[in-house]
Amino acid sequence: MTPVHAEALLLLKSGRNLVALLLLVALSVAAVWSGSVQVSGQQEVIERVAQAQEEDLAAVEQAQAGPRGDPGYAGYYAFMLTQDPPPALAFAAMGLRDLQPYVLRVRALGLQQQLYDAEIYNPELALPGVFDWAFVLVYLTPLVIIALAHDLVTGEREAGRLRLLLSLPGGGVWRRRVILRYLLVVIALGLPLIVGACLAAAPMTGTAAMLLTAALYCAFWFGLALLLGSLLRASTTAAAAMTGCWIVLTLILPTLGNAVIARAIPAGKGIDLTLAQREAVHAGWDIPKSETFERFFSSHPQWREKGQFEGRFHWKWYYAMHQVGDEAVAEDVVAYRTSLIAREDWTRRLGYVLPGVGAMTIVHRLADTDQLGQFAYQDSIAGFHEKLRHFYYPYLFNDRPFTRADFNQIPRYAPRVQSDSLAVVSLLMLMLVAALLAYLGARGIARVSGVQ
Amino acid sequence: MSDKQQHSAPGPAIAIENLQHRYEEKAVLHGLNLDVHSGEIYALLGGNGAGKSTTLAALLGFIAPSAGSVRVCGIDPVTEPRRARAQLAYVPENVSLYEHLTARENISYFLALADAGQGTDRRTDQSTDRIEPALQAVGLAADAWDKPLAGFSKGMRQKTAIALALARDVPVLLLDEPTSGLDPRAVLEFNQLLDTARERKVAVLMVTHDLVSAVDIADRIGFLAEGRIEEEQQASAQSVRFDLNALHDRYTHPGAAA
Repeated sequence: MTPVHAEALLLLKSGRNLVALLLLVALSVAAVWSGSVQVSGQQEVIERVAQAQEEDLAAVEQAQAGPRGDPGYAGYYAFMLTQDPPPALAFAAMGLRDLQPYVLRVRALGLQQQLYDAEIYNPELALPGVFDWAFVLVYLTPLVIIALAHDLVTGEREAGRLRLLLSLPGGGVWRRRVILRYLLVVIALGLPLIVGACLAAAPMTGTAAMLLTAALYCAFWFGLALLLGSLLRASTTAAAAMTGCWIVLTLILPTLGNAVIARAIPAGKGIDLTLAQREAVHAGWDIPKSETFERFFSSHPQWREKGQFEGRFHWKWYYAMHQVGDEAVAEDVVAYRTSLIAREDWTRRLGYVLPGVGAMTIVHRLADTDQLGQFAYQDSIAGFHEKLRHFYYPYLFNDRPFTRADFNQIPRYAPRVQSDSLAVVSLLMLMLVAALLAYLGARGIARVSGVQ
Repeated sequence: MSDKQQHSAPGPAIAIENLQHRYEEKAVLHGLNLDVHSGEIYALLGGNGAGKSTTLAALLGFIAPSAGSVRVCGIDPVTEPRRARAQLAYVPENVSLYEHLTARENISYFLALADAGQGTDRRTDQSTDRIEPALQAVGLAADAWDKPLAGFSKGMRQKTAIALALARDVPVLLLDEPTSGLDPRAVLEFNQLLDTARERKVAVLMVTHDLVSAVDIADRIGFLAEGRIEEEQQASAQSVRFDLNALHDRYTHPGAAA
């Protein structure tokens, strides 16, 4: 029997350790399964909506397109589908996808009153968040590591085995024990992730980066366990200290940090932009049409010569009024986006010192399910919306009829290219913090002697 | 008991000369001199704080003495702890092995760790060539070999620990209060085990409070007080090996004979 076999036997014949490891496997499998189910659910929703969308569009085409078809009505009733299909690694880290819209039907009217049009969630139900692999990694795995490693040294001392163990000529007992536990934890987390990634046809690099993140995060917690285990003499004290660290590092400090960031960087809500845009549009009914047109033509000079119409209402004015409404809140939109980006930046910086936040930042960026992914979807909608407007404008301003052939030329939304990336600095900082703790833990353990 | 490592270096298997050690301001050992030869059982008696545990810690290489020298089979445990530990087996007081492992698994586990340090590749079937003979030698009933230690009595645990030491097949055996808590029958069985060790030319240093046990089995008895050997007695070749009454007086009134 080799020492590694011996340690494996010792570890796996211990009921507590075995239960902790099996629990982690079960949680990890359940999380990957749960994430995959949510991803499938979102894909099904997108497919269902797409099917209903085609039926809807066919009805609008039937009613509004023809030799005397009015482009204004067509643009008014033809909602176009945009969708953000779940990225390949979303099953592992759902991020904001549980709350933010991933399907949005937009038309050529004001964008800002459509962009934040999402399902209303019961906040109490949304509060716990989603159960996914990232959740298991960041919040639950440290508890398993505490169970496996809190009494690595103290347990031997309390049981009276420390001197016997240290009296043996073979060194490296702690190293073997820690590495074995560490590898088993990483495997328990990693295997379900790899299986999920294969089933989702996720890119290997992203999956490998997630595994690396998990390995570093686990190294941090094992390092902390070793450090505390070498400093404290009682297992119960070590367990209490580690649990305290878990509460502080994964619950209290991130919550406090977020509260401070939110207070320091005020940001409104998307719905505020919707209301502001709507108010601007509503105000448009009460001001002279020439004033609305003037504002519109200043940003769309190519239609300046086409602003005349007879009668009190014309769709070209209506569409211009909506666009002017969007332009009226443009600065607010920039300010809102800037605030959210600033918050995201500071949250990322918080992750440089809080490994849990750092790990979350990395895996959500890899999965492209974070705020930046949401921005990328919104940007692609904005781009599509612009394309849509500019499709209708020639019909509206040239008073051209909107035929069925024209209807079939309405631009269709092409899903955004995924914007996933590796948060390099966050990963390097996690590497640094994990290496520091692993070093301190190893140094603490090296000091353990048989003198009691 | 294959691969027996004989102590081939000249001189005693355990050699302690003028050993001094302090824990911060408190001096624990004041020039301790002690040697134990192969095939000899040496009982080191002393009260609490006499320095018995510190002596063992020095032999195990857990502490670096303030002065003096310690050698295990000619090897300095401070500078070469692994090599020194490869020459000795240590049985601590209140033997506590892994409760969830069987006796066989416990020995197998510790042997694997010890063998790794000795650079020995003993991947052959340990149960047949080392563990079972050791378990037989200590008299542990065969039906207990594959039972978890959680159900063992103190004597059975002690036997398992001694079996581990025997299976290691080393020239030096260190015993810390070996008979503490054993019932009289278990003490007798333990003494028989030490006889076996003596026959195998193992140098045994037992640290104990138990004068009677020491008298029964030791070849020499040293009285440790205030960090040095105050008196040493050699067993006689007669049937009465030690004068228990005299030793008792010496033990209970340390200053009287000094």
